[in-house]
Amino acid sequence: MNKLTAVLFWLTCSLSLKAQITLGSTVDTFGVLAGSTVTSSGPTAVLGNLGVSPGSAVTGFPPGQVIGTIHAADAFAGTAQTQLTTAYNAAAGAPSSATVSGDLGGLTFFPGVYTSSTSLAITGTVTLNALGNPNAQFIFQMGSTLTTAVGSTVVLTNGAQASNVFWQVGSSATLGTSSFFSGNILALVSISLGTGAALQGRALARNGAVTLLSNTINTPAGSGGPPPLATPAPSSLILVTTALLGIAIYQGRKRIFQSFRT
Amino acid sequence: MVLTVAALLACYAPALRGMFEQWRTDEDMSHGFLVPFVILWVIWRERERWRALPAQPNWWGGALLALAAILHFAGALGVGLFAESLAFLISVAGAVLCLGGFSWLRALAFPFILALFMLPKLALVYNQATLPLQLLASRVAAGMLTVAGIGVIREGNILDVGGHRVAVVEACNGIRYLLSLGFMGVVFGYLFDSRSGMWAVRLTLLAAAIPIAIVANAARVAAAGWMPALDSGFPHELSGWLIFVLCLAVLLITRQLLNRMYVLNRS
Repeated sequence: MNKLTAVLFWLTCSLSLKAQITLGSTVDTFGVLAGSTVTSSGPTAVLGNLGVSPGSAVTGFPPGQVIGTIHAADAFAGTAQTQLTTAYNAAAGAPSSATVSGDLGGLTFFPGVYTSSTSLAITGTVTLNALGNPNAQFIFQMGSTLTTAVGSTVVLTNGAQASNVFWQVGSSATLGTSSFFSGNILALVSISLGTGAALQGRALARNGAVTLLSNTINTPAGSGGPPPLATPAPSSLILVTTALLGIAIYQGRKRIFQSFRT
Repeated sequence: MVLTVAALLACYAPALRGMFEQWRTDEDMSHGFLVPFVILWVIWRERERWRALPAQPNWWGGALLALAAILHFAGALGVGLFAESLAFLISVAGAVLCLGGFSWLRALAFPFILALFMLPKLALVYNQATLPLQLLASRVAAGMLTVAGIGVIREGNILDVGGHRVAVVEACNGIRYLLSLGFMGVVFGYLFDSRSGMWAVRLTLLAAAIPIAIVANAARVAAAGWMPALDSGFPHELSGWLIFVLCLAVLLITRQLLNRMYVLNRS
C-alpha cells in the first residue's frame, strides 16, 4: 500500500514537472558563483570554476584551492550570472506539485517541485529518491531562507543526481558545520557554508556573497547532456569476502596436504 | 558475563542499529557485516590462550565505562553515530577490564583492533578526504594512461579519453579498496606474522596497503577510461574485483619480502 501511494505520488509529481530545468553551459562549469564577493577561510577545495560578477573580490585562495579557473568580474562570470538568473526564474516559476514547510529532516522526496512560502530547514537526513530515473529532477522552492543543521545530510538514492537537484532560495542559504549537502543552491542573496561542510553540487548566489570555511565543493557534471559515467569500485563486502575465502582455501589446502603427508 | 553482554547490547542498541544500517546502505562500509564474524573466529582460535589467563578484575574498567557513557551521551546529543559506536567499543573494553583485568584486555587487543574497521565513517574526516582522494585517483589514472601512450584530457575529476568520458565520483575515490585492503593487511599480519617482535612487519604491511590501494584504484579508473566496455555493468564489477585480487597478491608478496628482511636482520 505504501509503495502504491509512493508510485501514485511520484506520478502526480512527475506530471506536474513538465519542464526540465537546465542551468546553462557556462554556469554549469562553476562550483561557486557570487554576485558581490567570494570569501574563503582555511583549506577549502572547489572542484570546478569559481566566479564573481558584478563584484570582483575573491579572497582566501590560497590557502583555498580551485581545481578550475577563477573568474572575477570577467565576461565569462557575467554570462554565468545571466544564465543563473534565467535558471533561478525557471526554478521559481516551475508549477508546484506539493507544499512543504519547516524541517525536512527525516523525510524522503520523490521527483517533483516542492514549495514553501517561507523558510526551510534540514536537521538529520533528507533522502531524494529518483525511483531509478537518472534524469529525474527535484526542485525545492522557498520564499526565504534555507538552513541546515550541524552534521545534516542530503542523500541521493535510486539514480538521483546532484546536477538534477535545485534549491531555489528566496533569500540566503546557510549550511551547518560538517553537513553534507547535495544539489545546486540557487540563492537570490547569499550562501554561507559552515566549517567542514561538503557540497556535492553548486553554490550559486545572484546578488550577495558566498562564504566558505574549510569546505569541499564537488561540482557534478552539467545538468544538460549526458553525464560522464561514474566508475564505482565493487562493494567492500564483496572485496573482503573474496579475500577471506582466499585465506580459507589457502589454509584448507595446507591442512589437506598435511593430512596426505601423514 | 551474560548479564554484562545483555546490558551492553541493551544500552547501545541504537548505536548498533545505526552501524548495521550503515553497513547495509553504504557500500564503502558493507564489510562491517564480516568483521564481527572474523572477531569471533579470532577469539575462538585463541580460546586456549585466554582461558588459561587468571581473572583479575580491575576497577579501572569502571573509569572506561564512565568515559564511554559520557561519549555515548555526547553522541545521543547530536555528536553523531561515530561517537556512539566508539563508546560501545570503549564500554566493551571497560567490561573486559572489570571482569578479567589487564591480562584479558591484552589478550583481546587484536579483536579490538579489528573492531575499529566496523566503526562508521567519521563524517568530518571522510568529507575532507573524499575530494582529495578523487582528485588523486584522477591524476594517477591520467598519468597511467599518458605513460601507456593513450591520449587523455583531465578536467578535475573527469577523464576524457578520445571523447569517452568517465567521472571519478565519490564512490570511486578508493576508500573501498583502502578499507578492504587495510583490514586484510591486519588479518594477514595476524595469521602469518604472529611471532613476537614482528610488530614492525605488521605495521609496515598495513602501511603498504595504502599506496597499493591508491594505485590499484587509479588502475581501475584508467582501465574504465581506456576500454569503454569496462566502464559499466558486469565487466566493470569484474575488472574492479580482479584488480583487488591482484592487490591481495601484491600485499602477500610484500609480506614475504618483509618477512625475509626480518629473518635476515635477526640472523
